[in-house]
Amino acid sequence: MNTMTGVEGAGRTTPQIVEIRPSRGLLDLELGAVWAQRELLFILVMRDLKVLYRQAALGATWAIIQPIFAVTIFTVVFGRFARMPSDGIPYPIFAFAALVPWNYFADAMRRSGTGLVNESDLVRKIYFPRLIIPLAAVIAPLIDAGIAFVVLLLMAAWYGIFPGLHILMVIPLMALTVLFALAMGLLLGPINVRFRDIKHTLPFLTQVWMYASPIIYPLSLIPDQWKWAYSLNPMVGIIESFRWAVTGQGDPNLTPLLMSTGLVVVLLAGGLVLFKRMERSFADLI
Amino acid sequence: MNENIAIKVDGLGKRYSLGAGGRQHDSIRDLLVDKVGGLFRRKRSQGPNEFWALNDASFEIKKGENVGLIGLNGAGKSTLLKILSRITAPTLGTAAISGRVGALLEVGTGFHPELTGRENAFLYGSILGMGREEIARKLDDIIDFAEIRPFIDTPVKRYSSGMYVRLAFAVAAHLEPEILLLDEVLAVGDLTFQRKCMEFAKKLQRRQATILFVSHNMFSIKTMCSRVIYLKKGRVVFDGPTDEGIGIYERDCMLGSVPWMKSEGEAPVRVTDVEILAEDGTPRSVFEMGERMRIRLAYEAIRPLDSPTFILSMTRSDGIDVCNFNTETDGVDLGRLEGKGTLELRTPPLKLVSEVYSLSILVRERGFKTLLAAQMGGSFHVRHELFDGHFGVFHEPAEWSGDWASSIARPAERRA
Repeated sequence: MNTMTGVEGAGRTTPQIVEIRPSRGLLDLELGAVWAQRELLFILVMRDLKVLYRQAALGATWAIIQPIFAVTIFTVVFGRFARMPSDGIPYPIFAFAALVPWNYFADAMRRSGTGLVNESDLVRKIYFPRLIIPLAAVIAPLIDAGIAFVVLLLMAAWYGIFPGLHILMVIPLMALTVLFALAMGLLLGPINVRFRDIKHTLPFLTQVWMYASPIIYPLSLIPDQWKWAYSLNPMVGIIESFRWAVTGQGDPNLTPLLMSTGLVVVLLAGGLVLFKRMERSFADLI
Repeated sequence: MNENIAIKVDGLGKRYSLGAGGRQHDSIRDLLVDKVGGLFRRKRSQGPNEFWALNDASFEIKKGENVGLIGLNGAGKSTLLKILSRITAPTLGTAAISGRVGALLEVGTGFHPELTGRENAFLYGSILGMGREEIARKLDDIIDFAEIRPFIDTPVKRYSSGMYVRLAFAVAAHLEPEILLLDEVLAVGDLTFQRKCMEFAKKLQRRQATILFVSHNMFSIKTMCSRVIYLKKGRVVFDGPTDEGIGIYERDCMLGSVPWMKSEGEAPVRVTDVEILAEDGTPRSVFEMGERMRIRLAYEAIRPLDSPTFILSMTRSDGIDVCNFNTETDGVDLGRLEGKGTLELRTPPLKLVSEVYSLSILVRERGFKTLLAAQMGGSFHVRHELFDGHFGVFHEPAEWSGDWASSIARPAERRA
């Protein structure tokens, strides 16, 4: 207990004055406060990772089993029975290369959209920049995505597909997916605080969204005159480019990707402003 | 802001809306129904469904000052702490805080049941605003303070609730804030633990920390704070010396009904005054163990009552009813009670251990039947240098006998 009598705690921080007032400017995002609390962000991510597979006999193996299971079902149902075209790529690789970014996105959106409500005890009783909750929620599932990605590469090698340098494109593509999931979380999270309907809508939304994205079928199946409308879904550009980056077949499809990027930037900006505007009423509404 | 000021609050107010009429829509459908309905309504009704949990509060707290925040439940104490700790935003007014703030509105928020004690110490510490390196440095002290070393690598879902609270408080106690906002957290756990919490608060006091402290325990307020702020229905009604503030507060409490009484208007009898006196009749609130007490009641019967029973009940600060005096078992028949009158109780020597006790007064129909009235009656403190909560509820000397070997300690009468 000798640390209690020390003066280091009092001496370390320079006296900063915190002003508390009813409302702040629209664009005061306080990103500095998030940076200052980055250790909390790290700890929350670690908590989610540690908790995820604890007390499960197979542990982190589930991160491998789940995508393989999904790919097997897709291959049997859509690849074999429905004879879905796959742009000349073996169907399991075709589906898996899309499922890696999609599963990540669906999981990260669900976690960041419902995070505030799931952490309602924290929100009601402790102050910290609330942005940390959706941020931690989109970072934690990256580990699962990483594991699935390694399995994907091994599977591709088994089929004789060895990606070239374009595999590096995976990094900016995943970064874009993270930002998109965060944007969705920032938009859905505050609404979920107010209306729990979001929680019930999310599984349904995710399922519809999956079939509206080129996961089990290729973009080439969409009639040319509707491609622009179809590509308003930012996941279209991301998934198609991800598939190209892994298999090297087809072309990178720059138009949908540019559209995705533009949309993500707009949604992210809107999400940040909405989130910050609502932030200070979370504790009252939750 | 003046550099000697730690907290400056200026015209702070917080408005909440109540229920569905206050436009708290629980689903989007409700919102749509209301919005569409609103098109046909001239004006939105406002006012009756709103209430100000905090209203125009202004005060300054100097660095190193310890201030108690008192008031009944719902007076706005927690709302004020929530605003100052930035959990919620005020509706009106401003506040400024200078220094590292530690806010303990609840102990253990953020603990994850699946994680071990060690992992939770890091998690909870970070949530409270400590760095990882800082927690790592203090971890040994934290584990010792919590007395859970053998279990530190066990998931906390296997902990007893006592261990859980001890670990959480131990982490919080090592936060070393310059400004500490405490909401009743010292009232959790058993008496031993509460004592530990008080020691922690006193250590902070010695380090010149500024403390704003909410409690219903007037004894801890008295020992901790030289100044109190008394909130009533969201407003600051008193700000000044502790004894004076507590005096006003206790007078208000004494005359207020306890919450489970139906409503003040329905009670057929009212206790209008309660005085706690020493045996010689002088007002007192601190007694030595074994002293007698006099308690004087003034009542007013709204309608005539046939032989009602007056019950005086004493409750320890942790909520345990420790004893009870009543006219019925003491063989007093009050007969037909009408209008105003007084009653005085002289207790036997009180053997209750050193603690804080509160009085409540109940009036029932004869045979301990229907409750006619229930009111709070202030609190008092019993002192003894040794006998406290560790020794039970009360203590009486007893006689010992047996056939033990030592010849020195043997009682005189057994030798004869």
